[in-house]
Amino acid sequence: MTTTSHRRTALVAALLASSALAAPAQAADKTITIATHYNQEQMAPLLACFDQYEAENPGTEIVFQQASYRDFLQTIMTARVGGTSPDIYNIYSIWAPQLADAGTLAEPPADIAEFVNANYGEGTVGAATINGTLYGIPTELSVYQLFYNKKILAEAGYDAPPATWDELAEIAAKVTKKNDQGNITVAGYTYGPSVANAVHVFYSQMFAAGVAPYSDDFRKTNFLDPEAIRIVERQGKLFADGSTSNSVTTDDFAANGAAMAIMANWQKSSMMDAFGDEFENTVGIAPIPHDGGDPGTMLYSFFWAVDSASKHPEESWALLEWLNSQRDGGLSCTGQMLNDLGALTGNLGDLEAMETDDSFTKPFVDAIESGAAKSQPNIWQASENDRILRSYIEKVWAGQMSAEDALSAADAEVTAILAEQDY
Amino acid sequence: MTDQSAPLPRDEFFDDAEPLTLGQRISSKAVAPWLFLSPMLAFGVIFFILPILFAAYISLTKWNSLTSPRFIGLKNYEYLLTVDPKFWDTFWNTIYFAAGTLTIGIPLALVLAYAFTRAYGQAFWRSIYWLPMITNVVAVAYIWKFLLDDSFGLVNMALGKLGLPGPGWLTDPNFAMLSVILVFVWMQLGHNMLLFSAGLANIDESYYEAARLDGAGETQLFLRITVPLLKPTILFVLITNFITGLSYFTLMLVLTEGGPVGSTNVTALYMYKMAFEDLRMGRASAVAYILFAFILVVTLIQLRIFRRGGVEAH
Repeated sequence: MTTTSHRRTALVAALLASSALAAPAQAADKTITIATHYNQEQMAPLLACFDQYEAENPGTEIVFQQASYRDFLQTIMTARVGGTSPDIYNIYSIWAPQLADAGTLAEPPADIAEFVNANYGEGTVGAATINGTLYGIPTELSVYQLFYNKKILAEAGYDAPPATWDELAEIAAKVTKKNDQGNITVAGYTYGPSVANAVHVFYSQMFAAGVAPYSDDFRKTNFLDPEAIRIVERQGKLFADGSTSNSVTTDDFAANGAAMAIMANWQKSSMMDAFGDEFENTVGIAPIPHDGGDPGTMLYSFFWAVDSASKHPEESWALLEWLNSQRDGGLSCTGQMLNDLGALTGNLGDLEAMETDDSFTKPFVDAIESGAAKSQPNIWQASENDRILRSYIEKVWAGQMSAEDALSAADAEVTAILAEQDY
Repeated sequence: MTDQSAPLPRDEFFDDAEPLTLGQRISSKAVAPWLFLSPMLAFGVIFFILPILFAAYISLTKWNSLTSPRFIGLKNYEYLLTVDPKFWDTFWNTIYFAAGTLTIGIPLALVLAYAFTRAYGQAFWRSIYWLPMITNVVAVAYIWKFLLDDSFGLVNMALGKLGLPGPGWLTDPNFAMLSVILVFVWMQLGHNMLLFSAGLANIDESYYEAARLDGAGETQLFLRITVPLLKPTILFVLITNFITGLSYFTLMLVLTEGGPVGSTNVTALYMYKMAFEDLRMGRASAVAYILFAFILVVTLIQLRIFRRGGVEAH
């Protein structure tokens, strides 16, 4: 064979190979990419729904991309810079202000907005709303309540959870155990190392005290409200009393290493794994301790959003509506996945269809349905502000600053950042 | 009539020379070296020079990577150096970490390397001390988290057996940075020992023999012969460790996340969170340039001090 014929053969082979690779892409007219922080196993019910949707809608292909929660925002950012952003995201509500401001999120068409307003609770819709504009369909909800270890409290003579913070401090001091070196082996109460372990707890306590952490327009903080100062002072006192320390975390609750903690409902599955048959007898849920008045707490939400650069926005919204509509009066596809995860949803139909009467879940659902759970404020630069707030709360825990000084400093820094959204 | 056999003038000779083919041009001494260097040069331009220039530009802008950068001049630098309440805290933490790793790590590595040159099974010991270097930093962090746990960690349990108090190695703001330094020294020890071992192998044994004949003891041998002759290696280890220390943050990210109370929050970690959590690319680039300028100045000072001390090879 001559060199020329070799080249021809190679060229034909290359063309055939390239057309073979391109074939699947050509078979699907529309490829919709969905990015979530859920892994393949957690996504199983949704992946099955994707297959069903593809079968019912020939020419549409749905591609799932997973990015870890920690890297999710960076993944969106990098994908957009590279022009390969997914069509649909499942995003944490506090990321939305920056993404909306940058024009990353598409506004849903009127029929989708109508669908959301008709099928989701008001507080949940608020989590997907930025400056009065709805940007998506709410999904997973996480609500904070007081977790308490029934057995540890009972051993110390307490048959009911604390209703006020003073009661909590008293019980915490009584049940705390230490080793010979003075280190805590069983903490009366515990925080944790993450930003949320301090800041979400602080926000939940503020809502329980009847004070929102931020002004209605999210331009100012209410950190200097006497209730806010009292909350942080009391947190500091738990450390000063030796009822908690930095060495115990919320993870220790599942190991009988902590008697009480304010945590979110998504801990359910890990608690069930940890306590097994003793789960019901061990883990109790109660409203956030507060000094009278109606109960209150904080919820945060994820929501489905469509990228403004999507080539198939209409198809993406249609897919999302399908994924979030009840099937034969039962759970929607999204609802099924959340139910399997032991998570809660803002979709009222799904919430109705879920089994939520167990002693663990009911207090969380009650808080959503009664409106006691308020949405985490979708403030500007939320991650940064929360980190700043945590850094000052930690100084109170460590006895380095008074609650008033710490919250004054946090207020100054956070207010300066909130002002950035106006210029 | 002209003489046809006479040699042509030089210019006419070259005019008539056959032109070089493409292959000849490529293989000529003027082109070939550049051709061979071009992959490396292209790599350097794309992955080093362009990002450095881009970061310099970005440091003069406000940019969240989702929208177009907005030029704001030197405001990022002004904010960091005069307004930001955290930047200087992280800077001093960085100095503390870098200085701590040098102060503890380098003498320890030098003494151990010196001891092992006189021990049996050098290769075995080098391998043992090198192991942390090839262990993933996340695994290292988790192991040390278990070891240094306040209530249940092996370290405090051992101290308890001796009747000693068990500090909060990673949870007490007064101990956390020291703990991070010690873990980092443990990770780097094998690497530094290897460099010192290479340097020690280059010192001629006759110097030691002559000194011993003159009655020098082991301490004198180490201080009067080993240390002076190891100066080039010491300089290299000092500079590379200091640069690493000033720009390092991985261990803090996985071991303490910068806590407690920001006591292990070094500038590089602060910059990382600023860029990838807060999306403040402009300000983070300015942090990178400030850090770069500081490292450059310190490195130049180190070089000058050692040159005065007779290290001319660097």
